[in-house]
Amino acid sequence: MSNPSGKRLLLIEDDVEFATSLASRLCESGYAVEHCADGRRGLTAALSQDFDALIVDRMLPGIDGLTLVKSVRQQKSTPVIYLTTMSGIDERVQGLEAGGDDYLVKPFAFAELLARIRALTRRTTQPLTRLNAGAIEMDLVARSVTRAGRAVELVPQEFKLLEFLLRNVERVVTRKMLLEKVWDVYFDPGTNVVESHISRLRASLNAGFDSDPIQTVRGEGYRLLAIK
Amino acid sequence: MATVLWIVNGTLTATLLRDNDADIETVGNGFRDEGIEEAVEVIKQRLGNPKYGRHIRPDNYMVLENDQGEVLAGNLPLQPRRMGVFSTLLPMPKGPHGEPFPATLLGRGTEIAPGAYLFVGRDVRPMLATRARIIDAFVLVAIGAVAIAVAAGLYLGRRLARRVDAVARACESIVAGRMDDRIELTGGDDEWDRLASVINDMLNRIAALLENLRQVSSDVAHDLRTPLTRLRNRLERAREESATSADYVGAICAAINDTDQILSIFASLLRISQVEAGGRKLKFAAVDLSALCERVFRIYLPVAEDYGHRLTANLAHGMVVQGDQELLTQMVINLIENAIHHTPEGSAIELALAGDMGGVLAVTDDGPGIPKDQTEKVLQRFYRLSSSRGSPGHGLGLALVAAVVQLHGGQIALEDAAPGLRVSIRFPA
Repeated sequence: MSNPSGKRLLLIEDDVEFATSLASRLCESGYAVEHCADGRRGLTAALSQDFDALIVDRMLPGIDGLTLVKSVRQQKSTPVIYLTTMSGIDERVQGLEAGGDDYLVKPFAFAELLARIRALTRRTTQPLTRLNAGAIEMDLVARSVTRAGRAVELVPQEFKLLEFLLRNVERVVTRKMLLEKVWDVYFDPGTNVVESHISRLRASLNAGFDSDPIQTVRGEGYRLLAIK
Repeated sequence: MATVLWIVNGTLTATLLRDNDADIETVGNGFRDEGIEEAVEVIKQRLGNPKYGRHIRPDNYMVLENDQGEVLAGNLPLQPRRMGVFSTLLPMPKGPHGEPFPATLLGRGTEIAPGAYLFVGRDVRPMLATRARIIDAFVLVAIGAVAIAVAAGLYLGRRLARRVDAVARACESIVAGRMDDRIELTGGDDEWDRLASVINDMLNRIAALLENLRQVSSDVAHDLRTPLTRLRNRLERAREESATSADYVGAICAAINDTDQILSIFASLLRISQVEAGGRKLKFAAVDLSALCERVFRIYLPVAEDYGHRLTANLAHGMVVQGDQELLTQMVINLIENAIHHTPEGSAIELALAGDMGGVLAVTDDGPGIPKDQTEKVLQRFYRLSSSRGSPGHGLGLALVAAVVQLHGGQIALEDAAPGLRVSIRFPA
């Protein structure tokens, strides 16, 4: 399999059929994937090798996912995403408190996982004061945005949304990711919340310009393009 | 009983011996001070010689003898010169006071002077009679006490048995499947009533959990069937009617959408049952409801606009409730989405919050409202008004709202906003 990104993932998942299928799809998306079917071996692998992200099931034979992540966290800061059927509110909170970075409940769309892995593996840890993508610049301290040097007025909701898109520039972000990370909404609302906000942001951002840097990716989400 | 007898006996005997010793001492003193004649006088006086104005002591016996074996004074015949404390049978057919004989004397023999033997004794029968009377009284009291104890014991035992029976009956009945049976309270506010009411509370909780479980099972069994049927039907049609690979792709996309719908219903059901089970109460923290509503309002302002509604907010500041941030967020969102979905374009929706600690959250719209007889039903799972069949949703939104309100100890009311619907939620202070 090709591995243009050079990124390595460790998949710790006891459902071998599911894991195999998932691993091959991740490979097709450019990742090198190692798979462990139990917690003990998973922990050993996570500690002895360097991965760009861990994908961890919560219910594992040997060591459960939560304990595994806690143990890894004591020595390493490898990003962790849980992949689990445990969907309770408390279970997500527990997972993140144990040191996980993201929590995805099974079943899920592959695009959703891929988007989240991309967001995790390109994460920068330094606190930034400025973000930019192409002609768009955001000053996080002054809370101001310019596009091609022209000031863009954004209401706080639009600012938060654009900030998240800028942090994930050139990457697909899903509706679910936006709901969770921008608005703290952890369930699927019955209205087009994301679409409404994206359209407001587009209106503010594109006023006076003829190009739209926010690309709609059908069936997946949105991508902010770095265009001049 | 034996102890009492022993104490009574000892006390009475000691008293009698003390009296004897007092007599011996008096006679002895008389002899030492003024000689044998005085001793004789003292004896006569002690024995109640009317000459000395003394009352007759019917139980008192004395004899003073010299070394020639002559009785110098006393009311007894010559006695063998036995020393120390002893009891002796009175050898006279009839006592000096006419009492029936033989009588047993308990007394002491001593020499008050060389050759002068004094015996002082007392008839033990009065003592025995006293003892008998004390014992009689004691036995009577003991019998009474035992009788009262037995009666009280029986009564209390019966009462206890009745209460235990009541608990046992209720439990057996529940074991037999009558989950709504409860232990009857006597209203006495005693420890039994407290225990019974605690057990009843526990049973109520168990019953609620069971009902919750039953409800979820039946929801899963019945209401997930509908979308699953649709999905199956779609796949079957795709197999039979698809001609091109584009047809297949279309069918697969539609099937994935159906699956997502089913998963979304499933997630909502699980969420409701999780909330109804009440375990989240343990994780309650202070939640700034004003800030939460403000946040939801900001999120939904453009959404409502896109659906052609006017969303406004009228929020009191600093309203704090003990609760679960995430569930309260979902509650407010569900209320607003409910209003968006079930009112025609151009309707006004107001999110209002009044009061500070505790208080009322209300979402009011000016849409068609809900018929009065159905306000209860719309809070149930999967219930949908016939007028809202065309609008999106699975009939779970308000059910979750009701569950969240209940978890927070609040009260939900669906009122006629004339026109429209007002859902108001009162939180405990």
